[in-house]
Amino acid sequence: MKINNKVFITTTSSISCAGDNDKTLFANICDGNSGIKQDKNYFFEEQPAIGKLSSSDAFHDALILQCQNILEQSKLENFNDTLLIIGSSVGGMNATEEIYFKTQNYKDIDPNFHHINAIANILNGEFDFYHDISFSTACTSSANAIGYAYEVLSKGIYKNALVVGVDSLSKITVGGFLALGVLSSEPCKPFDVARDGMNVAEAIACLLLETEPPENAVEVCGVGYSSDAYHMTHPHPDGKGAISAMSRALKSASITPEQIEYINAHGTGTIANDRAEANAIATLFPNQPYVSSTKSITGHTLGAAGALEAIISCMVLKEQKYPKNTFLDIPENINLNLPLMSQESEINYVLSNSFAFGGNNCSLVFGKSK
Amino acid sequence: MRINLEILESAYVYHHREIEELNTKELVPNMMTRRRLTRAAKIAIYLADKVSFLNGRIIYGSSFGELSATANILNSINSKESISPTHFQNSVYNTAVSYLSMLSNNKNEILTISSGDNTSLNILKSGAIKALDGDTLLLLAIETLNIDKIEEVNSCIDALECGVALKVRFTEKEAIINYDNIKNLDNTPKSLSHMLNIAKNIHMDKPNIIEVIL
Repeated sequence: MKINNKVFITTTSSISCAGDNDKTLFANICDGNSGIKQDKNYFFEEQPAIGKLSSSDAFHDALILQCQNILEQSKLENFNDTLLIIGSSVGGMNATEEIYFKTQNYKDIDPNFHHINAIANILNGEFDFYHDISFSTACTSSANAIGYAYEVLSKGIYKNALVVGVDSLSKITVGGFLALGVLSSEPCKPFDVARDGMNVAEAIACLLLETEPPENAVEVCGVGYSSDAYHMTHPHPDGKGAISAMSRALKSASITPEQIEYINAHGTGTIANDRAEANAIATLFPNQPYVSSTKSITGHTLGAAGALEAIISCMVLKEQKYPKNTFLDIPENINLNLPLMSQESEINYVLSNSFAFGGNNCSLVFGKSK
Repeated sequence: MRINLEILESAYVYHHREIEELNTKELVPNMMTRRRLTRAAKIAIYLADKVSFLNGRIIYGSSFGELSATANILNSINSKESISPTHFQNSVYNTAVSYLSMLSNNKNEILTISSGDNTSLNILKSGAIKALDGDTLLLLAIETLNIDKIEEVNSCIDALECGVALKVRFTEKEAIINYDNIKNLDNTPKSLSHMLNIAKNIHMDKPNIIEVIL
């Protein structure tokens, strides 16, 4: 089927450890104000540095508030014609944990608020959506959700789509990454020779995608998906899966690598991810666009990361300013252009990477609306 | 909008506790790899083989995901034991289909949907939209609920292990199968009902075409 419609991100709203709105988030990223802090509430013997929401609102209330923000800021009166697309890796796990650790059994757990669809169930209780679908591909969940929104709108299947990338922290998440030995006790240092791991974090990031752009909207130009087919938790060292996803995104956007001026890297701060991603970017982009990871400020928000970093990419295009690599001291890969200062610059196209367990990869290309 | 899909091949399995004949030893000769597989991964590998799907895009879905790995982690935390890294890496919803991609060297797009009782319906819808691009896709839905004390939270599902696969492609031919009257077959999980009903109504001696309503 021929793809016809242009797709635009018209309204966004987010909350993370780096700010309770998009402007604060981007200012903190550009200024290097990290929301990552050591925390001993999950496992007393370990104190990983993690990112908790900046607001004291309950997570459930914060989720609804972000969607209300979208309605208020957009031209929509309601979500009756809107496809709701959730991207989450844990869904209602937090609620399940609370009940299970309190009662030591499963009896009081409501299955409808345990699984990934718990998020859609909460939002369907507050708003009337045309239809909903939830994706759960670990840390690419909401990047895949944006890719799906792009596809269904460009094919003319739905009128508009609300993508909600959301993940809250739970003992399973923090404990699981501790078990893998990949959590740092400091804010992470992606792409640095001395990086020692990542920071798990929570976030809610909402994006309304439409085919009719208001002024200053950002265009979703293309999406590329791939699978590593290599290992459950380790990427191929040469970044073969990442190269494939990025190449497909560029092809989907009908642009060349030379046209990308900024890459928002997946850049988790783990040894394996950053090495593979750096190799992939260096291979595909010999023109050396600016590359930064914003996870030293936001943490790795897991299933929400793709949506949160899409909002950051929108801010880059709107503000015409690329963010720095906070805490980067000595880059491991000297073939990358890793800025140490946030600077204003002419930026027409941004590429955003998301990679996940199982070798699931998704790259998105965003463009300045013309 | 309506999109018609031709079902090229289909397969399904279910059991009230544990499906026995998944042919895993033959399909996954490497013992170390085999030992890491979750039940859902074994079912995915079996079903993909049954419908002769070697390479291409896959839309996978599960309402409850890798329940056994998740329960093991919860129990470890509760009893203050170390969390197994393997259980954690196997707890993500896309685990089963990731193992399938590794074993078949499938480097294509692979999505995982989790939409509660509508999971297999949403697999059909997204599969239909993707199929407009012209390729053949594997639609796959699996639930593996056979964990200790599942009866504390489950009173309506008899088939604790269940999986269904449809190999599909877009067609402009007229639909002859509809899914208007979906029944919950043998108390299998509702999340698989739409695809299971279709798989059970396949007649391989004629074209099997369904109309997916978006």
